[in-house]
Amino acid sequence: MIAHRHILGTFDEALGSLRNNVLMMAGLAERSLERAMKGLTERDDDICANAIADDEEIDQLEIQIDKDGVDILLRFQPVASDLRRVVSAMKLSSNLERIADQATNIARRARKLNQHPPLPEVELILPMNAQAMAMFKDSVDAYVREDVELGRAIVPRDAKLDDLNRVASRRLIERMAQDPEQLRGYLNLMFIGRHLERVGDHATNIAEDAVYAAAAEDIRHQGVAAST
Amino acid sequence: MVNLVMATPERTVIERAERATEPISTSTSESAVPLTFQVKNLSVWYGEKRAIDDVTLDIASNAVTAIIGPSGCGKSTFLRCLNRMHELVPKTRVEGTVLLQGEDLYSSTVDPAIVRRRVGMVFQKSNPFPTMSIGENVIIGLRLNGVRNQKFLNERLEKSLRMAALWDEVKDDQQRLCIARALAVEPEVLLMDEPCSALDPIATAKIEELIHELKAEYTIVTVTHNMQQAGRVSDYTAFFYLGRLIEFGPTTKIFTNPSQRQTEDYITGRFG
Repeated sequence: MIAHRHILGTFDEALGSLRNNVLMMAGLAERSLERAMKGLTERDDDICANAIADDEEIDQLEIQIDKDGVDILLRFQPVASDLRRVVSAMKLSSNLERIADQATNIARRARKLNQHPPLPEVELILPMNAQAMAMFKDSVDAYVREDVELGRAIVPRDAKLDDLNRVASRRLIERMAQDPEQLRGYLNLMFIGRHLERVGDHATNIAEDAVYAAAAEDIRHQGVAAST
Repeated sequence: MVNLVMATPERTVIERAERATEPISTSTSESAVPLTFQVKNLSVWYGEKRAIDDVTLDIASNAVTAIIGPSGCGKSTFLRCLNRMHELVPKTRVEGTVLLQGEDLYSSTVDPAIVRRRVGMVFQKSNPFPTMSIGENVIIGLRLNGVRNQKFLNERLEKSLRMAALWDEVKDDQQRLCIARALAVEPEVLLMDEPCSALDPIATAKIEELIHELKAEYTIVTVTHNMQQAGRVSDYTAFFYLGRLIEFGPTTKIFTNPSQRQTEDYITGRFG
């Protein structure tokens, strides 16, 4: 929904700036995750270092968004869709910051793996990366476009990512038993899988916040009762 | 319940239903919430000008209903129709029905003076009688209704001042004095027309606290231009625009997720 102009121009500016910072943060988190995975697959320490360096700017944006959000609540006391936009921007920034942390973790593990001969089991991680990255991009899209259906559709996709992680972990544990020499390498791959699985969780949170922002509907924790 | 025609000044406060907790989702009565007013297809004209246009709205008992909307939207007129005070304006015409506890407020057998005692009004600008003492101000309504028993008047004076949180600190808080005066005749409903618009933040907070306490015993309908105040004090909110009721519902719903675009535009400040 495109909102009419607010009578107070400064309010529209403040909301616009908040949204721009969230989008900037999402872009940086996405880039950081891509770099971390590229550093892993191309065995490139420099790319890993870039991914880690991105984290600083993302942390600063998180602080800025929280500060601006509180400032808007204080100065303008927004209601209705304005209130939901501010609240969801602040929640998004927290999830984006954690996604960036996962990217940093992946880059650090990749640098450790790069010190040893390549492991073909890295292939197990790639489908997880594709799934987590697609969920993340779609969740940000759902937020940007206020697309309730897209946001809703992301939540069940997390189960597939969890399955992929289980399959990869099982296989890596088998390899540890068969090839204990490479134990550290397999462990690092297992952790990377775990980090990607966490990215999926944060993408799910973002999708839920996108639905709340657009439609004032809380869709969190609805699968728990159904799946047990 | 006291009949509108037969009411006597010494009647006691009627037994009240439990406070409304169930939200009502539309203007029509569809749930078990006890209702004080049922307004059906109300239209009001001042001469040729139509001020209220076919409004249907239920007012829940022992709850605070806020009426919001831009200047000239008919919210004060609507409020006045709830105790027939608009009849003091010449050339006024009303269509539709207003039921107070199920009784037709506009029936030809109903005495408007009794209606106004059952449904008290507090105005935007406090209007104490300047030549009277605080005590005389409070009990003037009873005196005008013919009460002579001094013991009864004294008791009612203290009770009203206590309820308006004035007894312990008789200061120059004129608006609370006016609320005390409205309470002295023991109404069932308190109508408030922008009760805080002329007050500083501390006096405003005291009135809001008072509204919160009073709803245990009274049904309150308040007109306000202050959106944050409507959000703080009311259980239900009605949005009026150009004499029409645009949206009505629980206050939390109206202020987080209004269903009408006009409501959203108005409360977020994107109107016009």
